Amino acid sequence: MSVDNQGLLAQLIRELVRLPGIGQKTAQRLAFHLLKTERDEALRLAEAIRAVKEGLVFCRRCRNIAEGELCEFCRDPKRDHTKILVVEEPSTLYAIERTGGFRGLYHVLLGSLSPLDGIGPSDIRAQELVDRLKDGGVQEVILATNPTIEGEATAIYLTKLIKPFGARVSRIAYGIPVGMDIEYADEVTLIKSIEGRRDL
Amino acid sequence: MSLLKTPAITLRSRRWGEADRIVTFYTLRFGKLRGVARGARRLKSRFGSALEPFVHCDLNLFEKANDHLHRVTQADIQESFAGLREDLERMASAARLANLVNAITAEGDQSSRKFETLLAGLRALQAGHDPGLTALLFQVKLLELSGYQPRTDHCVTCGGELHKTGEAKGFRFSPMAGGLVCDSCAWRRPDGGLVLSPGSVAFLQKAGQLTPEALTRLTVAGPMRRELDTTIEAYVTVVAGKRLPPVDFLAAEPREPAYEAKRWP
Ligand SMILES: [Zn+2]
Ligand SMILES: [Zn+2]
Repeated sequence: MSVDNQGLLAQLIRELVRLPGIGQKTAQRLAFHLLKTERDEALRLAEAIRAVKEGLVFCRRCRNIAEGELCEFCRDPKRDHTKILVVEEPSTLYAIERTGGFRGLYHVLLGSLSPLDGIGPSDIRAQELVDRLKDGGVQEVILATNPTIEGEATAIYLTKLIKPFGARVSRIAYGIPVGMDIEYADEVTLIKSIEGRRDL
Repeated sequence: MSLLKTPAITLRSRRWGEADRIVTFYTLRFGKLRGVARGARRLKSRFGSALEPFVHCDLNLFEKANDHLHRVTQADIQESFAGLREDLERMASAARLANLVNAITAEGDQSSRKFETLLAGLRALQAGHDPGLTALLFQVKLLELSGYQPRTDHCVTCGGELHKTGEAKGFRFSPMAGGLVCDSCAWRRPDGGLVLSPGSVAFLQKAGQLTPEALTRLTVAGPMRRELDTTIEAYVTVVAGKRLPPVDFLAAEPREPAYEAKRWP
């Protein structure tokens, strides 16, 4: 099945292919599905996309996505305001939130440093984190950047930046995934898990 | 389809699709090539950290007909170079070497000397040699191995004798021409203004001659180091056809924001 690349349908397929995880075949299937879908239902998707792009802003305090000045977590008085967990992207924040295991506040960097791409500190929301520490009341900062070269660079940079403010700075543990046999772990993962060990 | 096996160094690795990575390698046997590692970002990926930038691994890939994107089937770490991902300066210098090789090498362009030189550069950084100086030295060497050795014996444009210029007591280097230029040629070139002292010229010649392993014995500091850094940076930009991400990436210029949304003032 192939669609000519001029028409309206082809244009929709081209847009769908740009989404992460969508290949040409899936995009065609989705496009034909939308074509058969009732007008109102299909347009609800278009409307939801428009609403997200026009209605969402970043939380003034933590740079998470928000619908007002502060996000749902920063607004919540029941959260522990002395702890800040730092993530690269909002999607990581929601992954951690789903576990229910963290009750503090967040800080979203909206990016990460990359020596390979020349992405420096002025491209991430690091200064905003410093401002929050200056305001006082924060006792612990937990860095939850990815275990990639970008996440590593970001964690090293942030540690140096925020240490002077006296809050405890920690980094989430990296190592053997739950359910995996230790003998199958690669060398770097194994060393990281030994470095990240804890007292019992 | 055929199976390729080769030692390889990861130059860069980017997210692809839902859980995959596209990795650019410089390999000993086949030069630069790109491969897709299916499921590399999944929790129980068999690749683990073997495809992180700068890792030296033994690589197995499938070559597919009519596709220059190979499929990575296995990667076993030889040298993890973990130290290069734990310090910002070393990381930045290693990134520059990887970016340079990536920028000046065509896919499939094989050179075991270039592979050994890149490896020696990463080893020197891992061993704790001055990151900035190591980046400078190995860039000069990598340029030479790629056929871009800056010409320093005669004027690169007319082949004439070189003279030290006036008060500057140095030679003029033209990044566009790829070497030193005589006074009358420099006068006609818009970019002929970089001045290299005789000591810096000797340094460039020496760096071109030494083996990669002996390269770290060479050292340079102060004003000479600064003029060499400036000159090589300008020359690399010409050879690569674009400005590479700066070695001092902490001072990098801000880019377009990745998220387009309203911001609070
Ligand atoms: Zn918030
Ligand atoms: Zn000349």
